[in-house]
Amino acid sequence: MTKRLAGNVPKALSAPVSQGYSIDARKLTTRLLNASIKSGVSKGRHITILNPDARHNLAVGIVKRCSLSFAGSVGYYCCAFCDGISATIEGNSGWGLGDNLMSGSIVIREDAGASVGASMRGGQILVWGNAGARAGISMKGGTLVIAGNSGFLTGFMMQRGRIIVMGGVGDAAGDSMYEGIVYVGGEIGSLGVDAKTESATRSEEVELRAFLKALKFRDDILPRRFRKIVSAKRLYQYDSLEPLERERLVI
Amino acid sequence: MCGIAAILYKTGESTRSQAVGLQLREMLYSMRHRGVDSTGVNIAGQHFGTDYVVRVVVSEDQGASHVIEGVRNAVAALGGSIVFINDFGRFRRIGLNYSGDLGKLSDSILSVKGAEIHSIGRSSEVIKDVGDAYELDKKHHFSKVNGTHGLGHVRLATESQVDITHSHPFWAYPFPDITVVHNGQLTNYHKLKREFQQRGFRFQTHNDSEVIAVYIADKLSRRRKLGDALEESLDDLDGTFTYVVSTDSGIGMAKDRWSAKPFVILETDEIVGVASEEVALRRIFPDDVRRVEPQEHEVLTWNVSLAPRIKVRLN
Repeated sequence: MTKRLAGNVPKALSAPVSQGYSIDARKLTTRLLNASIKSGVSKGRHITILNPDARHNLAVGIVKRCSLSFAGSVGYYCCAFCDGISATIEGNSGWGLGDNLMSGSIVIREDAGASVGASMRGGQILVWGNAGARAGISMKGGTLVIAGNSGFLTGFMMQRGRIIVMGGVGDAAGDSMYEGIVYVGGEIGSLGVDAKTESATRSEEVELRAFLKALKFRDDILPRRFRKIVSAKRLYQYDSLEPLERERLVI
Repeated sequence: MCGIAAILYKTGESTRSQAVGLQLREMLYSMRHRGVDSTGVNIAGQHFGTDYVVRVVVSEDQGASHVIEGVRNAVAALGGSIVFINDFGRFRRIGLNYSGDLGKLSDSILSVKGAEIHSIGRSSEVIKDVGDAYELDKKHHFSKVNGTHGLGHVRLATESQVDITHSHPFWAYPFPDITVVHNGQLTNYHKLKREFQQRGFRFQTHNDSEVIAVYIADKLSRRRKLGDALEESLDDLDGTFTYVVSTDSGIGMAKDRWSAKPFVILETDEIVGVASEEVALRRIFPDDVRRVEPQEHEVLTWNVSLAPRIKVRLN
């Protein structure tokens, strides 16, 4: 459908603005828009994406240090498969924001849809609003901070990293998690399968508060104390071997 | 995958001629990546000038004029009279006056070989066909149809075949104006369907979503409130689902306990829009309207306010 893009990409960029480029998403197909973002990124300038209109797959697969902002809501899988990105979203996001993030930071001003930070391996995602269901599903590293509430199945099958929810979490929190920690400032709807709560230790509290302060959270809006959800490890069946490798090991 | 969308103007009667059809077209077209097997809408809050509008699709094998003659006789035999018939290819939009039992009328029309009913309504009609929203509009001109509320669907077929019969919205036989669009799969629909069949209900398709329509309509006919009917469905339906129901006076949504299917809401004092994805709603709402995302096991309803009734001139 869309022809492979070669040298003509920079033409799709609008006139440079003072801090960098701005791109009007309405004028471009998603493929062309992503190519334009990548092309701008390689010039090392800040890019503002205007009128993202909650479209899907924006700014995916960027593996360079760069600075982006979206002047509105984005759709599914925004900033997925990125490494080193620094992005700000002024509106909401659809499902799978920052899917598989390797490093970098994503800040979203309003609500994130389901599966924010799915399978992320590093970096940091900050949600100023609420998060939908399955926040941090299958997370493998990094930090996911949710300033509001987080929905059903928070930290589902989480394997490493940490989730910090300043508000409450919904039902089945920490369901089937292996490793990693979910810190919760508010109410816990209910715990998922093989999850348990512990209170955060003093040194953890100190570290968390310092971390959140560095993210510009005011002292008075920080929760009085955090509880943490971890794996109870009653059903813990976790190793890094593939089934075939394990078979060989037994033999 | 499938995508669903609905829109409702809260002060319906005073603003009867809202461009519901046009807005549904734009919403559904922007979600075409969720499925282009078929597209369908139900536009409610219309003034027909007849007791009912029946949407019929006629089989090509039987010969359209032959089938329509059969429908005409079937309606006449029950003491009804056909006032107008609009022609849209294989589809007919039939306006008729009839004061008897709707079950009898539907059965009688369905007994005509080659006739299939898409909807019967006092103030709403279902328009559905294969292809995307613009293709549907090209054939059926639904973007010119105004009303107070409506819903629509883009389909990626999973549970049954790709044809017009199995496309959404589904009308709830034999209740006027009750239609459903559904995103998901039901796993216990065979069982529910059998129970309804034993009670004399008739199904036109093998689709799981048709069962939801009949389930809700059955509850409403027994004077349950829409919200209560939706609430009860959360436990009676098994599987993954987010669905929207349209009645003559409003819409309602229900989301399963797994929160497996996406759904977002944008609402102002005058209008509420719901859709699988925000991308559909941003075609209508400005950026500053805050998005709400319902969570698992949740039910919501909205009504068209009937208070400020203003006499509307009919064409």
